[in-house]
Amino acid sequence: MESSSILDSLGVEIIGVMAPVSICMFLVVLLTYSLSVTSDPQIRTAANLIYIENPSDSATVKLEGSLENAIVFVVLVAAVTFVLVLLFYYNFTNFLKHYMRFSAFFVLGTMGGAIFLSIIQHFSIPVDSITCFVLLFNFTVLGTLSVFSEGMPIVVRQCYMVVMGIVVAAWFTKLPEWTTWFILVALALYDLVAVLAPGGPLKLLVELASTRDQELPAMVYEARPTVSRSGGGGSSLRVLVGGGGGGVSDSGSVELQAVGDGAATHNLDYNAVAVMDVDSVDGVGRSREGHSASPVSSEHSRELGSVGNRESVAEEEMSPLVELMGWGDNREEPRGLAEESDNIDRGIKLGLGDFIFYSVLVGRAAMYDLMTVYACYLAIISGLGCTLILLSVYNKALPALPISIMLGVVFYFLTRLLMEPFVVGMTTNLMMF
Amino acid sequence: MTVAAGIGYALLALGPSLSLFVSVISRKPFLILTLLSSTLVWLVSLIILSGLWRPFLPLKANVWWPYALLVLSSVCFQEALRFLFWKLYMLSTLIHFALLLSSDCYAVLDLKKRLEDVLDSFADRISRPRLFLTDKLQIALAGGLGHGVAHAVFFCLSLLTPAFGPATFYVNRCSKVPFFLVSAIIALAFVTIHTFSMVIAFEGYAKGNKVDQVIVPVIHLSAGMLTLVNFASEGCVIGVPLLYLVASLTLLHCGKMVWQRLIESQNQSGSTLR
Repeated sequence: MESSSILDSLGVEIIGVMAPVSICMFLVVLLTYSLSVTSDPQIRTAANLIYIENPSDSATVKLEGSLENAIVFVVLVAAVTFVLVLLFYYNFTNFLKHYMRFSAFFVLGTMGGAIFLSIIQHFSIPVDSITCFVLLFNFTVLGTLSVFSEGMPIVVRQCYMVVMGIVVAAWFTKLPEWTTWFILVALALYDLVAVLAPGGPLKLLVELASTRDQELPAMVYEARPTVSRSGGGGSSLRVLVGGGGGGVSDSGSVELQAVGDGAATHNLDYNAVAVMDVDSVDGVGRSREGHSASPVSSEHSRELGSVGNRESVAEEEMSPLVELMGWGDNREEPRGLAEESDNIDRGIKLGLGDFIFYSVLVGRAAMYDLMTVYACYLAIISGLGCTLILLSVYNKALPALPISIMLGVVFYFLTRLLMEPFVVGMTTNLMMF
Repeated sequence: MTVAAGIGYALLALGPSLSLFVSVISRKPFLILTLLSSTLVWLVSLIILSGLWRPFLPLKANVWWPYALLVLSSVCFQEALRFLFWKLYMLSTLIHFALLLSSDCYAVLDLKKRLEDVLDSFADRISRPRLFLTDKLQIALAGGLGHGVAHAVFFCLSLLTPAFGPATFYVNRCSKVPFFLVSAIIALAFVTIHTFSMVIAFEGYAKGNKVDQVIVPVIHLSAGMLTLVNFASEGCVIGVPLLYLVASLTLLHCGKMVWQRLIESQNQSGSTLR
């Protein structure tokens, strides 16, 4: 029967965001399992500046070292975010956009290429180097073009966002274990502070963007809704929320010289824009609003160059997630005033950093067991759902990273310590309930 | 034994649920959310149970009564949680809809409204048909499938990782078939039981039907206790078919109940059904 019920249209936007996050996490887990990525202690990255983790160290040494690593990382990210705020304040928007295109090219080309090569090596795929290079080049260029252009089909842009999230997350899982957990928690706390505290860089960015009514150059995943909305009296209120990124800095050379030959330093900035759109659905002669939340995350990543001959690049990525909700009140507007431009702004936009850090958490859980993967996946998804609900309650910019990361970490340790002996003990005796 | 075998075991446990998911649940985003939330509830219940039992683990492998106690307590806890899930689910969707409708104060203030009333009033607002009976059943199905999938993942899939490698594993007590195969078969039975008993339970709670409300914990408990039969040497030869008997009983009862409801509602509305 064609009669549709209300159940068809509820929750479309939420699923539109959860689906790509799930796909990204799933592919990162697959990549982690198939490549058996082990953390390589030789890489000195921005996340490893102070302490390089050695599996044979004692617990207290690891604890202190990882804590120091995490603090340094967050400080670096905060500094670069402030630089971004400064750049945006002085209207360097075009520079930021071009820089981000360059970042996309670099990420897809080198890091994506490295993963691509290791896949070829692992599965012994017969392909020659020229073909490989041509394919990789085409892939990278398409990705770069899809970042900010208006003419690309939305599916291409969405796919490339997910691919970039996968690539960066796969690199992040190479960090040692304790450092990863501490960095995740530290970033969640930083996100909380940066978005909500009065002096936080992301809050400043939000205010700057909204007062100027400008759009931040950002890397976002846009989820366009597929269900067409009824009611033409819609208006979309564009509220911009920006996230922090960084500018080019050569302060990285200070760290590099201590390590090896000088290498290039690149900073990748991903800024995210949240666009709220208000969906007006016409009832009987009066328009009502629905609203869709636009979580925004901005991320900033920074790459430090190699040690010696090896092109070992590590990045730090920061993705404070900022959410903002906007309302449009359209009760008196007649139905005929349908704005065509609304179609571009509909749907939830989620910043790239969220993809990355959720996938890092799940990837790290994958290195232990599949049970922890599933538990962390559920925790993250429910955290995302909670954040969307909170957004609709509080109506202002909220960080979405803290809830998911905290839930994910808690569930990981609970599953690992409590649930696994319980379940494994029962199933090996073939006892289930 | 190989990737093919590993995928085979996984599909054995989760194949029907995958087809259910693709055909029924993935069409409606709300059902996907219901599935995710019910999986989360099951996971939380499992974590709490393992937290409670952790000091007593590992249990001795030769004595059967600690396991019986384990299963009993777990089943009781989960059944209590199922009722709580029903209540909580109504409340949380109520809040969600209250937020969505928050431009209209009346829905927010009346917190005693039931889920269906809220959904129906929301449906009226956006000029869509009200919640059909099949919708309510589908929500219950999604909830049950969430529980079933969670069971299959945690009790079967999470242990399947070695199955993708070059060898296989046999348990002493059930030495005829590989361990992975037995656990996949048992998981399939439990997925069926969880999925359809949730439908029975939700209908029982909604209509106040005592028989339905009681039969669900009984089914769950008997299924759990039947797995204790596996404790005996070569007990799985008896235990697993009995388990499938229980699963098919659940299926039959659920089918009968749904059929009756549909006939009733058809008689009431006097129009063709969806």
